[in-house]
Amino acid sequence: MPTLKMPEVKGTGQPTVLRWCKTVGDTVKKGAVLLLTETDAELIEVESGLDGTLLEVLSPPGKRVPFQTPLAVLGAVGQAVSLPPPSQAVSLPPPSQTVSLPPPPQAGQPAPQSAGPVIPIVMPKAGQSMEEGMIVKWNVEPGARIQKGQIIFTVETDKATIEVEAVDEGRLARIVVPQGETVPVQAPVAYIAEKDSDVDTCLAQPGGVSATDMPSQREGLSVPTGDARMSPRQTAGADTSVAQVVEGGRVKASPAARKLAQERGINLAALGAGSGPEGRILSTDVAAAKAGAAVPAALAAGQVRRRMSQMRKAIARNLLWSKQNIPHFYLRLTVNAEPLLTFYKQEKAKYPCSVNDVVVAACAKAIHEFAAFRCKLDGADLIETPTANIGVAVGMEEGLAVPVIVAAERLTLQQIGAESKRLAEAARKGKLEGQGEGVFTITNLGMFGVEEFAAIINPTEAAILAVGAAHEAVVVKDGNVRAGRVMNLTLSCDHRIVDGLLGAKFLARMKELLENPAKLVSR
Amino acid sequence: MAQHFDIAVLGSGPGGYIAALKAASLGAKVAVVEQSHLGGTCLNLGCIPSKALLASSERLHQIQHAGDLGIQVNGASFDWAKIQARKDKTLAMLRGGIKALFGGRKVTLFQGRAVLNGPGKIAVRKDGAAAEELTADKVIIATGSVPSRIPGWPSDPEVNCTSDEALHWKSLPKSVLIVGGGAIGCEFACMLQPFGVQVTVVEALPKLLPNMDGQIADALEKIFAKRGIKCFPNTKVQDLKVGSQGATAVLSNGSSVTAEKVLVATGRKPNTANLGLESLGLATDRGFIRVNDRMETPVPGCYCIGDANGRCLLAHAASAHGITAVENALGHGRPFDAPVPNGVYTFPEIAAVGLTTEECRAQGLPFFAGNYMIGHLGKAMAIGETDGFVKVIRHRETGRLLGVHILGHNATECIAAAGALLHQKVTVEAVAETVFSHPTISEAIKEAAEDALHQALHLPPHKMQRVVAGI
Repeated sequence: MPTLKMPEVKGTGQPTVLRWCKTVGDTVKKGAVLLLTETDAELIEVESGLDGTLLEVLSPPGKRVPFQTPLAVLGAVGQAVSLPPPSQAVSLPPPSQTVSLPPPPQAGQPAPQSAGPVIPIVMPKAGQSMEEGMIVKWNVEPGARIQKGQIIFTVETDKATIEVEAVDEGRLARIVVPQGETVPVQAPVAYIAEKDSDVDTCLAQPGGVSATDMPSQREGLSVPTGDARMSPRQTAGADTSVAQVVEGGRVKASPAARKLAQERGINLAALGAGSGPEGRILSTDVAAAKAGAAVPAALAAGQVRRRMSQMRKAIARNLLWSKQNIPHFYLRLTVNAEPLLTFYKQEKAKYPCSVNDVVVAACAKAIHEFAAFRCKLDGADLIETPTANIGVAVGMEEGLAVPVIVAAERLTLQQIGAESKRLAEAARKGKLEGQGEGVFTITNLGMFGVEEFAAIINPTEAAILAVGAAHEAVVVKDGNVRAGRVMNLTLSCDHRIVDGLLGAKFLARMKELLENPAKLVSR
Repeated sequence: MAQHFDIAVLGSGPGGYIAALKAASLGAKVAVVEQSHLGGTCLNLGCIPSKALLASSERLHQIQHAGDLGIQVNGASFDWAKIQARKDKTLAMLRGGIKALFGGRKVTLFQGRAVLNGPGKIAVRKDGAAAEELTADKVIIATGSVPSRIPGWPSDPEVNCTSDEALHWKSLPKSVLIVGGGAIGCEFACMLQPFGVQVTVVEALPKLLPNMDGQIADALEKIFAKRGIKCFPNTKVQDLKVGSQGATAVLSNGSSVTAEKVLVATGRKPNTANLGLESLGLATDRGFIRVNDRMETPVPGCYCIGDANGRCLLAHAASAHGITAVENALGHGRPFDAPVPNGVYTFPEIAAVGLTTEECRAQGLPFFAGNYMIGHLGKAMAIGETDGFVKVIRHRETGRLLGVHILGHNATECIAAAGALLHQKVTVEAVAETVFSHPTISEAIKEAAEDALHQALHLPPHKMQRVVAGI
């Protein structure tokens, strides 16, 4: 298939593409004007040297096209145009003049009479903040017949893994998003049709199939085990950077940026602050976002490339934001662990509980007393939550989850023990759902022998407590040296919300409660 | 006991007085030290007096051409003393205005020359003696600039003067040699000609208005030539002698010009000498106090705005700097980052914002410039103001608006729309999609934007090269 190249032009300076006069799928006759290019001085019409069908545009508007730059790929006259690679967001209608995507699905237009009906299967929106999902596994092959209710594929989001059921019956004609690929919510991932050619015909039509036209698909999302619909814990890190550019619910972006993002299937909300006034996203930011993704580095011998899981990506995004945007300061003190360990052994004999559960109980009380630790920043305001919703970090092979014990100050130690156990199991199975928003997080690496560490604040919270192992150490009291058991606490605080004095008082209260744990069970 | 302030502002020009009012509005205790009249150069020796004189001049110019619009005027004359008096009255009113604003916000005014005595310490000197002292947490230097003079030239201000003197001439000379064809030189040339003054302009660089898009200079020169203003760009004054007839200059093109007065308008230099900067350890760069985008000097707590920092010698830039400096001084500021338009108040006016075609070429940017002649507009023809053009420069890769340049009636008003769009970093498509009123002069911006996109409807289609893409 021939690739047409830019010829030489008179005049100075490199020409750039102004606009295309033909779109992908158009029949092109030799001598017809394909595109307009321009230099500083004039406009240049570029005509096709061959007859054919325009298969692919290689130089979009704005691209520099010096002599010999590939412009377009021509196919044989009448050749059918194949679908674009799945990573491009097919569900977004491209502007009429740019041609790298197939013609937009137009709402309301039915499929042509001569072909059979084609039903798209789309990436479901499994949660308020879900923007994209990765296909982990297809359970069916093209050509198979699928039943209503049958699980057809599994999707991974940054919160959990979801099995998706079919709502329409029929023959799975084509899968357009293979395993391992990530697409935005509502993007078609496969098509149901009696014949494969129906899918071709339908997509080649200007008024193709509309994903948004099929309401049953939206309702058809199913989450396994009959659990409540996912309401993901706020990934506030990413949301906060988006909040910088969101005004009245709309991402602040220039008209050019919106157009380019639409063309290239880029989600503006995921870009964060742009380089325009007040963080406005500009067309150059969108162009850079796509360009950045395009060229992977070459691997040395033995190196292996693996795509980050959704969970990993979410952790990366949130904690980078946290480190870069929250002014952390750190307070540490050492707690005499003897009373704590004695108390814990006592209670454990009566009901399941861990040392960390006692720390959670102490924390719940302290947070209840110190309102600043229940605050989050929102612009120039502080939003105070009435209850001590404590997140307890659960480490896993794949990463980290922070299930939240809501209103921990209202729970007994026994209830805290039961709840934290339940949540940790659910987290490890990837089945966390219906999570409330946390105000504080506790992370404990004591079970691995770590004596002391400083944690990174979970975005939107005011602080995080890092708990070390209860270990034997030299204890000095009133000038006397003896052996004892101690536990180190390190409190990381957001200096915008909590000052040193308050942090110190909070930590001192924690120490008081942990060294007098009997107070924690008295109601 | 020296009074203490949160912020001390040195100078009450458009930079200083705006900074003072802003700081006071944000709750700071503010002092302003001013050695002369309130309002600085802009109010007393620049923007306002020149525009007042230009207004009288333009009115006379229109009367002289009233016949074009079917109006018969016989025996129009002018009274220079009245023109000057009116200008002086305007200045007095505006000075009073600033005084009232200061009073309303409880800004303390110290009259005298400020001299820094160390960080945050200022002595106010009057008649050669130290009159008062004050201290401040933050200092904003807004001492502005003064016209450059040419060393070695005759010192008699009656013969060799700058804009400072020329604006307040008690009587008009019969002829003037203006040395320097920048904004000030061109404005004076334009202003003096209708009063019958024989004007010659000499500019050392290749074009008049060297900082503006070259297309403007070419067009202005033609307009001036039609009015009998002689322009010699790319020409230097090699020698100047004062005689009984006035001054005679020998030019580098071999000719000589004799004029009653010489007006030197070659530029302005910063007013930072004898300010006590050494007591802060603050160095200057050819007299300018260099600052970053937050108007901070290298000395903590010391800011510099306006002409004194050399970034942009325009009154509105000084005011914008003043706001930036105050917001940063009080702890919640951002860097200054907005396009600053500039204007030349000749008739027809000139205005521009963003990059010129010369700057685009120098930076190697791929651009295309759309053009629209003012004379093609319905409004222009209807009111008989057909001089000029609008140029809109577009980046060919990103589609962004890079610059807008206007020569035409009310250009300095029209440029506001362009500046606002440029600040939002829009594409030229957005400019072309904006609905401008009809019939106006400003709609030429939209027309030029459409031309930049090769979509102008009021112009015949561009001639195009045609080439063939093969394999």
